[in-house]
Amino acid sequence: MLTRIAFRNIFRNRRRSAITLAVIVFGAVGLILFGGYKATTFNGLRESTIRRSGHLQLFGAGHSDIASQKPLEHGIESVETLRREVERDPRVRTTAAQITLMGLVSNGDKSETFLATAVEPEKDRAMQATRLESGSDLQSSDQDAVLLGRGLAASMNVKPGDYLTLMTTTSAGSLNAIDVRIAGTFATGVRELDDRAVRMTLPAAQELLQSTKVEKLLVFLHETSRTEEVRSALAGPNVEIRSWSELASFYHQVVLLYNGIFGFLGLLVCGVVVFSVANTIMMSILERTREVGTLVAIGTSRMRVWRMFFLEGLLTGVIGGVLGVVAGALIALLINRSNVMLPPPPGFTVGYPLHILLESRALVLVFAISLTTATASAILPALRASRMRIVDALGHI
Amino acid sequence: MHDALVHLEAVAKSYRLGRVLVRAVDGVTLAIPRGEFMALAGPSGSGKTTLLNLIGNIDKPDSGRLVFDAVDVTKVPLHKLAPLRRESLGFVFQTFNLIPVLTAWENVEYPLLLRGMPKRERHERVALWLEQTGIAAQKKQRPDQLSGGQRQRVAIARAMAGDPKLVIADEPTANLDSETAGRVLDLLAEINQNTGTTFVFSTHDLALIGRARTVVRIRDGRIDDVRSAAAA
Repeated sequence: MLTRIAFRNIFRNRRRSAITLAVIVFGAVGLILFGGYKATTFNGLRESTIRRSGHLQLFGAGHSDIASQKPLEHGIESVETLRREVERDPRVRTTAAQITLMGLVSNGDKSETFLATAVEPEKDRAMQATRLESGSDLQSSDQDAVLLGRGLAASMNVKPGDYLTLMTTTSAGSLNAIDVRIAGTFATGVRELDDRAVRMTLPAAQELLQSTKVEKLLVFLHETSRTEEVRSALAGPNVEIRSWSELASFYHQVVLLYNGIFGFLGLLVCGVVVFSVANTIMMSILERTREVGTLVAIGTSRMRVWRMFFLEGLLTGVIGGVLGVVAGALIALLINRSNVMLPPPPGFTVGYPLHILLESRALVLVFAISLTTATASAILPALRASRMRIVDALGHI
Repeated sequence: MHDALVHLEAVAKSYRLGRVLVRAVDGVTLAIPRGEFMALAGPSGSGKTTLLNLIGNIDKPDSGRLVFDAVDVTKVPLHKLAPLRRESLGFVFQTFNLIPVLTAWENVEYPLLLRGMPKRERHERVALWLEQTGIAAQKKQRPDQLSGGQRQRVAIARAMAGDPKLVIADEPTANLDSETAGRVLDLLAEINQNTGTTFVFSTHDLALIGRARTVVRIRDGRIDDVRSAAAA
């Protein structure tokens, strides 16, 4: 009967209840949309980070020794042996060897610093870390070919088919230079990187550095969640291992920032819901003062009166939470289908589609927040109702 | 005196009205025998309702002693008297005070649910008292779909369904037209005669005063006169 009274009282003043439910629904929709956008951003950023850097990176022992200054001094001597060993693990999808190096690039008239990544072209294409803008992609057989970042190609005033000279310090510490042909230009999406980036084949980099070593072996897994267990399995005295998480400082900064914003927004939404539901129940109690007096006069205990108003908050939370989750999910689906493009974020050159990730865990969490907030906001008004003096309540007009 | 259901001894109650302390009940001593049909009569502000609240255990006296069914309840906090009100008292209010979201049936059933009465017995009692009060046909209607007289009948059924020892009625006919008030009055008197339930009510209504077995006249918080029908 108590539940029946509480439930019917929600619909007693329909306009007021509708406003309260609308506040809860809007709050839930806001949390779902922003939470889904946040999750999409985190996932996208994490996957693009992993696409570029692998789940794990294996270096030669001593790589992190800061006293080491010469390129490839602690490089991996026999990368194929290490690769075979690593790829035996069924959790590993593939591996890719890389060398990163810096130096000067010149067209004869002008020199710029460059930041090159030497890759295995077929593996690099599969990683989809860059987007080819002009010309053709790197081929393993084409050792003097390089790809230039969009900004660097513009700065050097070159196009596919032109030649440039790359110069750097070798592993032995002397200077070396090679001529390279521009196969094409690419974009990473990050302007500063596109102004300096070069992609070349591993043999070309080894020729430039006068070494047979590679700097690192990138390891790609089938499942990101197994990163740490594979790391433990691959650990040994001859390798240093870093996970994608350790290398992704930008990702962690974004996570920290978004979590801060999301937390603040969440608090604001909860605050609005608390005040709205508490206000509704207080108004309801005020209107029903005589009714409360009657209930207590005919023998209803204080606890039952408290429970009745508490139940009203709880039921409001349940109804608002369900409506909010359904509305939020529908709006998210609508947004995902409408292909809305967002402008490029600061430092990036290309926009990206607005996508709201809908996870059942997040929907349950939003429902739980709506329910808890609405219920908690009923506690104090319910307590006040239960402590009314009977004669005062009965005499209330 | 030993047979009295309620015994008040030098009971006093004051309340503050702005800066003025009003002595609403001023040293009242009164015994209410079982089976009584008693009217508390007096002008507005004489203290009838305050005295009724004290007898009904919904307010506490500042001083004096109040014994209900041989139990001294003077010092028992009001919230601890909820079981007593639930088991032994029925209330009929001037403004009916039904629960608006419940039907007539549910309003009568509610106090029985509070007692934890089994469903079958509960339903028998609700049906019986809706029948007795002549409101069975409107059992599915909510208070806002009923007339004043019908609402008061539901309130009487609610008060009686729990088989109380005492029914407190505060101006039960004040919000009814004279014809409806007469019918409600007949109903209360009939219930008193048939069940022997004790009734104490406050009233201005001369018709109701005329039907009371005992009339207690209150003036300025004190008993001015107690007159029984037999004496009259």
